[in-house]
Amino acid sequence: MGLLALGTALEWPEAKKKAHQVRQWGIEQLLANWRRAKGKERDALLWGDEVEYLVVALDDAAKKSRLSLAQAEILKSLARDEALWKAGSCKNNEDNGHDGEEPPHFHPEFGRFMLEATPGRPWGIGFKDLLKVESNMKWRREVAKAHMAPNECPITLTTFPRLGTKDDYIQPYYAPSGPALRSQFVPDQIANPHIRFPTLAANIRSRRGRKVELNVPVFKDTNTPTPFKDPTVNYDLYNWPEDADVRNGAAKVDHVYMDAMAFGMGSCCLQITFQAKNMTEGRRLYDQLSPLGPILLALTAATPIYKGFLVDTDVRWNQIGGAVDDRTPEELGEAPLENDRWRIPKSRYASNSTYISQDPRLRKEYFDPDLVVDEDIKKRLMDGGMDELLATHFAHLFIRDPLVIFSEDLEELDLNKADHFENLQSTNWQHMRFKPPPPDKDDVGWRVEFRSMEIQITDFENAAFSIFIVLITRAILSFDLNFYIPIQRTTENMETAHARNAIHDRKFYFRKDPFPRRMPKSTQPSNGSAFSSTTSSAVNTPPPSPPLGPVETEYELMTISDIVNGCADGSFPGLIPLVESYLNSVNVDVETRCFLASYLDLIRKRADGTLWTGARWIREFVAKHPRYQHDSVVSEEICYDLVKAVEEMTAQEGRHGSVGWELLRGKRN
Amino acid sequence: MKLVLSTSNIMQGGRPSVLRQPLTQKSNVELINSLRLNFLASQHIESPPSNGADSNGTNPTITNGCPSWTLHRDDALYIPAIDFTQSGLAEERDQYDITVKLFYLPGIPASRRCAHTREAIDLVLKELHVESIDLLIVSFPGILFDADDDSDEEEYAGDRSGDADDFDSMVQTWRVLESLHEQGSIAQLGVAEFGCDRLARFLPHTKAQPSVDQINLKDCCVVPKSLILYAKQEHIQLLTHNDCNDILPVGTTRELLGPGEKGAGILASAPGATDGIQGDVEPQWVVKYTAVVKDRGVVENKGYFALADVGTCVKARS
Repeated sequence: MGLLALGTALEWPEAKKKAHQVRQWGIEQLLANWRRAKGKERDALLWGDEVEYLVVALDDAAKKSRLSLAQAEILKSLARDEALWKAGSCKNNEDNGHDGEEPPHFHPEFGRFMLEATPGRPWGIGFKDLLKVESNMKWRREVAKAHMAPNECPITLTTFPRLGTKDDYIQPYYAPSGPALRSQFVPDQIANPHIRFPTLAANIRSRRGRKVELNVPVFKDTNTPTPFKDPTVNYDLYNWPEDADVRNGAAKVDHVYMDAMAFGMGSCCLQITFQAKNMTEGRRLYDQLSPLGPILLALTAATPIYKGFLVDTDVRWNQIGGAVDDRTPEELGEAPLENDRWRIPKSRYASNSTYISQDPRLRKEYFDPDLVVDEDIKKRLMDGGMDELLATHFAHLFIRDPLVIFSEDLEELDLNKADHFENLQSTNWQHMRFKPPPPDKDDVGWRVEFRSMEIQITDFENAAFSIFIVLITRAILSFDLNFYIPIQRTTENMETAHARNAIHDRKFYFRKDPFPRRMPKSTQPSNGSAFSSTTSSAVNTPPPSPPLGPVETEYELMTISDIVNGCADGSFPGLIPLVESYLNSVNVDVETRCFLASYLDLIRKRADGTLWTGARWIREFVAKHPRYQHDSVVSEEICYDLVKAVEEMTAQEGRHGSVGWELLRGKRN
Repeated sequence: MKLVLSTSNIMQGGRPSVLRQPLTQKSNVELINSLRLNFLASQHIESPPSNGADSNGTNPTITNGCPSWTLHRDDALYIPAIDFTQSGLAEERDQYDITVKLFYLPGIPASRRCAHTREAIDLVLKELHVESIDLLIVSFPGILFDADDDSDEEEYAGDRSGDADDFDSMVQTWRVLESLHEQGSIAQLGVAEFGCDRLARFLPHTKAQPSVDQINLKDCCVVPKSLILYAKQEHIQLLTHNDCNDILPVGTTRELLGPGEKGAGILASAPGATDGIQGDVEPQWVVKYTAVVKDRGVVENKGYFALADVGTCVKARS
């Protein structure tokens, strides 16, 4: 989450009236900024990872684990330390093995039980930097823990297994059913109290006309009742008009029902942001990383429990999508379109829907035929000089309404700022994000954010996946790889990734041949890309000869193992071999290569099934727990033991047969 | 006659063919396949009627025994023809780290290395349009990781032990490199596959010390501790690679250039046949070059040159 502005936040009816103005001003800011920054060149690769934590409080006597709502106090204490660090009065980092590293940054998140931590300075591609990532993540965890109560600790589960149950799963305890969330499961105090967050939640609900609705299919174990009716749902509440939602069928049979933003935005993710050398490279990375989103989602699957029940899905993604889905019944297609402007196929939090690279290999068949675009905005951007591809992208993001508007910001349009642009941009939570340079920072370039990964229990895993993605981007740029598939297939892959054990049981659409075609030498453009108009399906330049075959022949369904490790028949090379081939082309010192080998090994073995996903490990942990009744219920005691095990795994990392070896090492010793 | 084989930039416009192979094997597949692909691509452009504008109207006829997609100049046959006016690097020189690895081949007298080194470096400088390289790593034939350090890694050593370089010729070769270093065309020097003992024996004989020792580690983390400590003490960086030791054997070269399905049709099909160059072929050296954009970690240009003697000019080995 970015900086939090203060001011008077408008409630939805007021905000709605100002939506058009905010969009218009946002577009003018975008255009001004784009003009200023489009020529930025030669920015270095800098990248950053964001790790999000749940803060849990353990009550060993009662064998209970609870979420701690101490975010504000912890952040205050962390900020004091950071200030001391900056003033230089704190002890030097040399003492703690982090010589030359800046102290980490901590940020608030939506959930009041969450923390986000980023490295103090972005990473480069220097291979020595890659070695620091894991230890820096561990350092962040230590620093965070040092600012918590003795019984509290930061853990990196995606979701707290018993968020929203009937018992006192938060500390301090607040009863549910507040005015902002109107949830029957969680209190308003679950959210960060900064005005932005309750307003965001309230305005989503208000715009939508009812509470958000999350129904996750329950995992049917041998003793799970059939049909399963979520026993925690209260049909007899009358505090708020929205309490009628469940009486109107909001809670579905055989599903776990949830009704608040906290169930989604309270999830922890692992997000990576890269700085590209210029806008062209940023657009290329945005496109090429997009098809990898669902693959990495399935690989990092770690979310098998919601609200105290094992569910039949392995990942968080759609639950967050549902938790911030502000679409009206008209936009959803449930009512005839009368007041709203269009039907919208996806939530604001969803897989991305645009390709934006000026790449001759981008074919028009790859585009989303159902893309909704604000044509007026697109025209304004193109009149302002922006090319159609990029104008379409932003005109698509700007079909949404701004959700949180501060009245103070509407007095004057400041083209040297990006606040109105960011209002829309940062509440489009797609799995890829293309970020223009901030207008007030000359040293920051065009960036791309990769957002689909689930947070992993240990920092070893989080470092492994972060670095893997970084190396993939280098392989993409070095080998000029082409992962394009029709973007709808990526949308489908994202759904596929949700299935229980999708990593092994499902197949994903992926491009068969990622290599560039060898063009006859004399027709090779010397550098950069040539442009000319064409009647063929290539958007940007004519296709190289021989002519392109049907798009459907370019991709096929593959297993995650094939995509990651390569097909046995040699048809698809595999992401790991591509990365290794890249590493073989650059000078890597022995120590770094050994580290990288252990990271790549983890991912290789996750993909081929030698190692378990977090989701699988959690399922097995619950299944083997002596108190588990095989009824899908994850009780307080199981939850406590699970959190304890997670804490131990974070420290021991499965060494010598300790807890989690199935996930990290694949053998007991 | 000398044959100058080249791959052009293997990062772009073609698949990095090494990927298709099992990655566990030490292999020269990347070199062989990219040479073959480059030959094919060059033959392809020259062959009408694919696209008349591309081919300048030349026919794929044999001139002086050489196909037209090659270039005969100054007693050297360039396979394929190289246009040094093209390519080069996209950005300023100082944006790049340029690493060159020169493989001296087994059985070739060390006395030729002075000429070979200059020849190889010249080609790379011309190809990349630069005046200097950042790091030159030399690979002496027959050396694998020293037995005293790691006895399991000697799989190739047995049959090649007869070719193993003697120490004096390595030192002699190093003098050549040092002179290039002094002239400024090479910023740093490196060796490959030196174990701790060999390194310790070698260093006192050097004026310009190697700053890199490149070792082949398929299964990482089995680097002998003695080497790690010694390298650290001597400020030598230990880098990894996965090149194979005998990168271009005679048989492979013959197959690459000969007639037949996999060959480029440069060499004659039989003694006395007129369909190509007659005589023995003897690969002399291979050089690999890599240009990496420093602060972005992007490999922009990578390729190989290989040089072989052919025909009556194949020199006596002693």
